[in-house]
Amino acid sequence: MLIERAHIISNTEVAHNIWEMFLDAPGIISEYKGSGQFINILVEDSWNHPLRRPMSIASAKDGKVSIIYKIFGDVTRILSKKKSGNDIEVLGPLGNTFTNWNNNYYPILVGGGVGLPPILNLKSECELSKIDHTIIIGAQNSNEHFIAHDPKNDIILTTDDGSSGESGTVMNPIDRIIKEKNRPYIFACGPEPMLVAIRDYSLKNNIPTQLSVESYMGCGVGLCQGCVISKNNTDKKENSYHEQYSLVCIDGPVYESKDIQFE
Amino acid sequence: MSNLEVSIGNITFKNPIWVASGTFGYGTEAPDLIDVNKLGAIVTKSITREPREGNPPPRIVETPSGMINSIGLANIGVKKYIKEMLPIYEDLSTKIIMNIAGTDIDEYIEILELMENQSSSITGYEINISCPNVNKGGMEFGIDCDMTAKLTEELRSRTDRLIIMKLSPNVSDIVSIGKASQDSGADAVSAINTVVGMSINANTGKSNIFTTYGGLSGPAIKPIGLAAVNKLYKDLSIPIIGMGGIVSSTDVAEYILAGSTSVQVGTANFRNPGTGEDLIDMIDTYVADSNWKSLVEMIGKVEIHN
Ligand SMILES: Cc1cc2nc3c(=O)[nH]c(=O)nc-3n(C[C@H](O)[C@H](O)[C@H](O)COP(=O)(O)O)c2cc1C
Repeated sequence: MLIERAHIISNTEVAHNIWEMFLDAPGIISEYKGSGQFINILVEDSWNHPLRRPMSIASAKDGKVSIIYKIFGDVTRILSKKKSGNDIEVLGPLGNTFTNWNNNYYPILVGGGVGLPPILNLKSECELSKIDHTIIIGAQNSNEHFIAHDPKNDIILTTDDGSSGESGTVMNPIDRIIKEKNRPYIFACGPEPMLVAIRDYSLKNNIPTQLSVESYMGCGVGLCQGCVISKNNTDKKENSYHEQYSLVCIDGPVYESKDIQFE
Repeated sequence: MSNLEVSIGNITFKNPIWVASGTFGYGTEAPDLIDVNKLGAIVTKSITREPREGNPPPRIVETPSGMINSIGLANIGVKKYIKEMLPIYEDLSTKIIMNIAGTDIDEYIEILELMENQSSSITGYEINISCPNVNKGGMEFGIDCDMTAKLTEELRSRTDRLIIMKLSPNVSDIVSIGKASQDSGADAVSAINTVVGMSINANTGKSNIFTTYGGLSGPAIKPIGLAAVNKLYKDLSIPIIGMGGIVSSTDVAEYILAGSTSVQVGTANFRNPGTGEDLIDMIDTYVADSNWKSLVEMIGKVEIHN
């Protein structure tokens, strides 16, 4: 883990309100372990917004890191105004990685909304390692998609309103592909309702599943104890620490679906 | 390097830059980002008798120039602290101040006694009195002079190590609580703990913190911290350890001028765990470039307009 002033190579809007930024970050790359990891970005040096913003790594190669972000509020708006040539301070790489994506399984990669970056990153890693897989990308409507629906090449898009790809949520194609393939393994990141649905499905059907979860973070390095998620721990003790809650920044963000619970 | 040494009780600290409880874990979390041995002291996360999970999420939220937290004293408990942390502290060359929290006076006493029965290199205790006293209907220790005095006395009689009472700003008269601490034998007071605050999401209509109210920290509270330190400085004779919104060497200078002998860096650690180390060099430069001969000379020397 290190702090690096990274040079912005590019910062462009790739879909409605969704931006992609490439950073020259050789230090981050030198410690990078794999998809699932994130960087914690200091968007402005002033203290108007004290906290860094955690962003999943969407790609990491040739000394360059990319992130994909949606404009949510002031800080992401400021981020979108940055130009190539500007510097930005990043802390990372942080967190754990997806595991078990290998030829013993058929990986089904599922990304929704701002949860797409680590899934795209995992897709690149699967391609590099020549592991057959399908990617399913969910969005509300076609404006949010920046990848083409291409079922022949195992790229499936869904939209809630049917404006592109398959109509409905990611659950339909997930269920279909699980029935088609041997030893499926789900890897997912996305909005909480999507993760809740995938978790329920995976437990009911006994499909191994890793979820990358999002959490509001204070520091990203385990100091503030702010970013907890409930563990799926049935034998709760009266007095304990770290048995009921897990710290997303250092224990996660990737968990086996059976190990965590959503509120 | 100019002389940055400061004394509290009979202890000399190599510099006045400490890290604040709850913002630096147990001192071992970010070894890649800071050389903790440079720090004047590390105040460790509040420790209770039993381990605690802390509050359900959401526990933190950013606010203008600050943040609100309601962690709920998540900690490993005193037994694990003794077993796992004390051996690590033996090898550090910075001073460790253990922060203690409790829900009744007996809990504080028990933790302190367990610690005093150990041989350890702990320099002293900072007592978090912003905790609800279950025996007084959940009233915080630190809002009542008598409870603060009683607690300080009980702890004082059981240790020769430093006792620092950590004062809450959420009181009508912080000086009287400071005086009660001083008169009952505290070596120093630290101020301020977080300021009660609330954050609401107007889009969802929900509170942004599970427990509704939380503790505001960061630059947003610096003026509150400075006023508290200055008021305490005027009326107390024991040293004051100032904190609240320190992120730069000018902030440190302001706190020293207001009357602090040492300062603690809190929320700034979340942005950069190396802030404390950076501030040591920066305050050194500040003193060298100023007309002050030393940092100690600056303590409480803010010029008042009359
Ligand atoms: C996330 C967080 C956790 C904290 N935990 C504790 C704690 O366990 N015990 C304590 O005495 N103070 C705790 N504090 C208060 C700080 O030590 C400090 O008094 C306060 O944050 C003001 O300083 P700052 O503005 O530099 O952060 C905590 C503060 C924050 C932000």
